Amino acid sequence: MKSLKELQDTFQRGILAGDDAILDEVNDSDKEQRKVLFGVYRHAYVARLAEILNDDYEQLHAYLGDQAFARRVKPYIAANPSDQRSARWFGRHLPAFVKNSEGFAKHPEAAEIAQLEKALADAFDGPDADPLGIEALAALAPEAWPNLVLEPHPTVIRLTFRTNAADIWSALKDEEEPPKPEHLTEPQAIAVWRQDFMARFRPLSTEEAMMWDEAVHGVRFGVLCEMVATFGGEDGAELRAATYLKGWVDTGMLAGCRTA
Amino acid sequence: MITEKPPYLGFGLGLRPQHYQEILDGNPAIDWFEIISENYLIEGGQPLHMLDQIVERYPVVMHGVSLSIASTAPLDLAYLGALKTLAKRVKPKWISDHLCWTGVHGVNLHDLLPIPYTEEALNHVVDRVGQVQDFLGRRLTLENVSSYVTFGQSEMTEWEFVSEVAKRADCWLLFDVNNVYVSAFNHGFSTNEFLHGVPRERVVQFHVAGHSHEESHIIDTHDHPVCPEVWDFYRETVAHFGPVSTMIERDDNIPPLAELVDELDHARSIARDVLGARALADKRLVAAE
Repeated sequence: MKSLKELQDTFQRGILAGDDAILDEVNDSDKEQRKVLFGVYRHAYVARLAEILNDDYEQLHAYLGDQAFARRVKPYIAANPSDQRSARWFGRHLPAFVKNSEGFAKHPEAAEIAQLEKALADAFDGPDADPLGIEALAALAPEAWPNLVLEPHPTVIRLTFRTNAADIWSALKDEEEPPKPEHLTEPQAIAVWRQDFMARFRPLSTEEAMMWDEAVHGVRFGVLCEMVATFGGEDGAELRAATYLKGWVDTGMLAGCRTA
Repeated sequence: MITEKPPYLGFGLGLRPQHYQEILDGNPAIDWFEIISENYLIEGGQPLHMLDQIVERYPVVMHGVSLSIASTAPLDLAYLGALKTLAKRVKPKWISDHLCWTGVHGVNLHDLLPIPYTEEALNHVVDRVGQVQDFLGRRLTLENVSSYVTFGQSEMTEWEFVSEVAKRADCWLLFDVNNVYVSAFNHGFSTNEFLHGVPRERVVQFHVAGHSHEESHIIDTHDHPVCPEVWDFYRETVAHFGPVSTMIERDDNIPPLAELVDELDHARSIARDVLGARALADKRLVAAE
């Protein structure tokens, strides 16, 4: 008689690898053969995980269509057995998987659509933090501003896209005909985050993206203004920096500030 | 260790995100909610925010799907720790999971897999339930699962196994009415034998759910309304156990809340019919004290 450990190993191989050795351990029922009955577990495993990927990557599914999506899902499930207690994390490798999949070298937008969907999901249930209120900045003494250091909201994720994946995603979300895929001449900076319990994203200009990326590394506001001046010209540099900052505060992209 | 039997809660539903706002806006006539614990093992955002508000208004119980109590893989202490942290937030009336295993070698198959009913498995499960109860500092509630195969090596019936686990590990039982019905059909045993085979004093909750009939076997899909045969068995179950906290489980094809409330009312009317309104009301009063 197999030990419980051996039996579970055999059972799991029966599901994951299609190994029929488990059929020596289970019984026919009065009404059905064991192969059909064990098949319920085999089928449920793939069907359940495929459904999870469908739910998590709804727009990628819409973009690729049922057949092409299913062709990616099957090998993903085979290559990435779930190693987490919650199915929430099962699909986390899909963007990289699509990127490295055969046939997708010419369609980099597919992996970027997946990347955006994953980032939106991660922002949706990422850590809580109260957003920085405008009053905290209003209370600052003028001499404190140059030394201001900003803290991003913990849900913010910065992406850089080489295709128009964000526009494709938005069209699909609105159930409109998506634009044709394009390779962008300049990479597009995207910020994803959660505001009022909703995950959202928007493109950033290259200047705003530069300032954001430096700000979240702890660069002081005075230096940020100098960087903006160098990047986009001295004229109105402080106003541009202040406008970006106000946008971040108004939309909950920041969780705090301090003076260094 | 909390030793007193958990309170009778009445008639509850599984909390599903589709219904959050309707529940909070309408305070529907639902006595309590069951959450899927894994869905709230996250860092923040709307699900936990909604849950906090539900917890303020309704009794809540935590129902897990990946404890894998019968697995021969080591217990996942990180998972148990997260469960304990969630329990501090939710203050559940009890914590349940399934009498099954979900994977070995670090893999989670996301399914409720069957156990051979042997002395070896029994000793293994009893030992693990003890460890989990010590870790959580409270008794665990374990649910019988639907199964599609039986093992040649089994030495006892499912209800004997379930009963022995409950007695030896000193835990509670969640009697899933639909799962007993499904497994009885699939394996050709009598639902009544199961019903009369488990210790009444250990049962703290019922699940009632729908399934998919495949002619030669039934699959426990939780995507249909409860069928008449399962309602008939629920009637027998209530007659046997008396008032036990009852919950309708729906995990797929989730209908509008009103439809589930109607199903719940059906369960209420069966319980009233079998036990009399007085018995239910008395039990609620006792629970409230």
